[in-house]
Amino acid sequence: MTAQPPAVVLAHGLGGSADLPIPFTYALIGAAWALTFTFAVVAFAWRTPRFDPSNPGRPMPQWLARAIDVRVTRWAVAAVALLFAVWVALAALFGPQSGENALPGVFYVLLWVGLVAASLLFGPVWRAISPMRSVYRLISRTLPRLGGLRYPQRWGYYPAALGLFAFVWLELASPDPGSLTAIKGWLLGYVAVLLVGAVLCGDRWFARADPFEVYSVVVSRLSPWRRNPETGSIVVGNPFDNLPSLPVRPGTLAVLAVLLGSTAFDSFSARPQWRGFVDGLAVPAPLVRTAGLLIFIAVVAVTFWLAARPTGGVDSQQRRALPGLMAHSLIPIVVGYVFAHYLSYLIEQGQQTVIRLADPLGRGWNLLGLGEADVNYVLSLHPSVLATIKVGCVVAGHIAGVVAAHDRALRLLPPGHQLTGQLAMMLTMVGYTFTGLYLLFGG
Amino acid sequence: MTGRIRWAGAKRLGDLVGTAALAVALVVTGVGCGTSAGPGASAPSTSAVSPPGQEQPAGLVVDITIADGTAAPTNAELQGRVGEPITLRVSSDATDELHVHAIPERTFTVEPRAGQSFQFSVEVPGRVEVELHDLRRTVVTIQVQP
Repeated sequence: MTAQPPAVVLAHGLGGSADLPIPFTYALIGAAWALTFTFAVVAFAWRTPRFDPSNPGRPMPQWLARAIDVRVTRWAVAAVALLFAVWVALAALFGPQSGENALPGVFYVLLWVGLVAASLLFGPVWRAISPMRSVYRLISRTLPRLGGLRYPQRWGYYPAALGLFAFVWLELASPDPGSLTAIKGWLLGYVAVLLVGAVLCGDRWFARADPFEVYSVVVSRLSPWRRNPETGSIVVGNPFDNLPSLPVRPGTLAVLAVLLGSTAFDSFSARPQWRGFVDGLAVPAPLVRTAGLLIFIAVVAVTFWLAARPTGGVDSQQRRALPGLMAHSLIPIVVGYVFAHYLSYLIEQGQQTVIRLADPLGRGWNLLGLGEADVNYVLSLHPSVLATIKVGCVVAGHIAGVVAAHDRALRLLPPGHQLTGQLAMMLTMVGYTFTGLYLLFGG
Repeated sequence: MTGRIRWAGAKRLGDLVGTAALAVALVVTGVGCGTSAGPGASAPSTSAVSPPGQEQPAGLVVDITIADGTAAPTNAELQGRVGEPITLRVSSDATDELHVHAIPERTFTVEPRAGQSFQFSVEVPGRVEVELHDLRRTVVTIQVQP
């Protein structure tokens, strides 16, 4: 018998059971709908582009727009977020150092999945709530900016892509994703990289290198809220008008490839055939999993890059730009697949995490009456409802992606090639969706 | 080389393709609705790995053998039902811990002897992983259907 408390090896970084695979008929029907809509869009949809980020949209009521943008609100929101971060840090350092700690839940569920939901609903929220931005704002008042370096433009979003890869590596390929030490180490590295970079380059570093900020900006392209580019005021509009406003920088496609590839690898790595394969190799398991993760990400990046380019009538410079200009059409597919895969984690493990946060030090506190609440497993108790939601999310994401790609292609491709130039992209998206449904079905 | 697509021709082709795809989708949907639309058919809930002739507890039974640093079975898949008692019968030559990733988590300590038996049941449907902590192997994943 060991004297110390067991360090529970948590699959996926979290405890509890995983979702059941979706039934085969659901996968089949979803695939059929996806295919039909793709053909319908290509064959019947509009012939002139109609989505434009400079479409005016509907302005919010004046009082609401002012209330959101005034500095008091910004400071209040940032302060609340910073206090929450401190609360979580206390729970991580002084709470129960076992599977009962709230940190893995905050890290893998509230942050990773909650950020997607919040950005979809409210826009690029991480810019407003980022604790690192708040810390930097506080220290930059007292300390002068040490470096005067300018962020190199050709780095683009690559640092954020690396940061996102580091996160998904920890979650999916590291030896013990649920280990509190590992998560604390990761967060320490995150804080260090962001602070050092911000001190050197200013706060542009956050906009390019903070993985969560870039993730939030990317997902918020699908939100109905955006800023009118001329007046700067917040308007409500068609999310498809917002999608093309994704900044196209070096590394944009890499960010999206990491997000989509990692979610796909997450599904794939739960399969017993894969696990048996990994166990049977002489190479240590984390290395094999890392290789698998890299392969999935690379496949997404390469297939999208290849699919965006084959069209007639463009010169080589335009052709080089095509993948970046089309990258925003991956966003709905990423969001759909993230919700399909992680919705039950957000709703159920999220409740569990909030309950644990009401008693962060494990002393029996009961803040807001939450410490003694029970988790409502509404989704897990109704697997067919959950399966329908999953298929719906994947198919809806696919359809939105196809529509966005079609509209953009109408802008980019020369007149004679508008149908044929889209074919490769449409087939690739169908391939992503079929693969996504197949992985949800579990093969 | 003319690369131009004549819109009239493309529209006819597009109509054809679209109609064909719609027809395929309708047929597949019809087939899907005809077959069971509930969760995937579950295998009969008897043990897949127990030797004959031994007294069988009710519900699902999994026999686990730990010997020489390896475990059998690994990465097996079984089907179960909510509320059904699941028994793990373990013969081991080393200490270890069995973690059952269900809601709630369960931990069973394995001693270096034969004939150990642990029983639990799962109330929330899902994929329940049973893994050995020290050997870092997943023994079996049980799909618990409602």
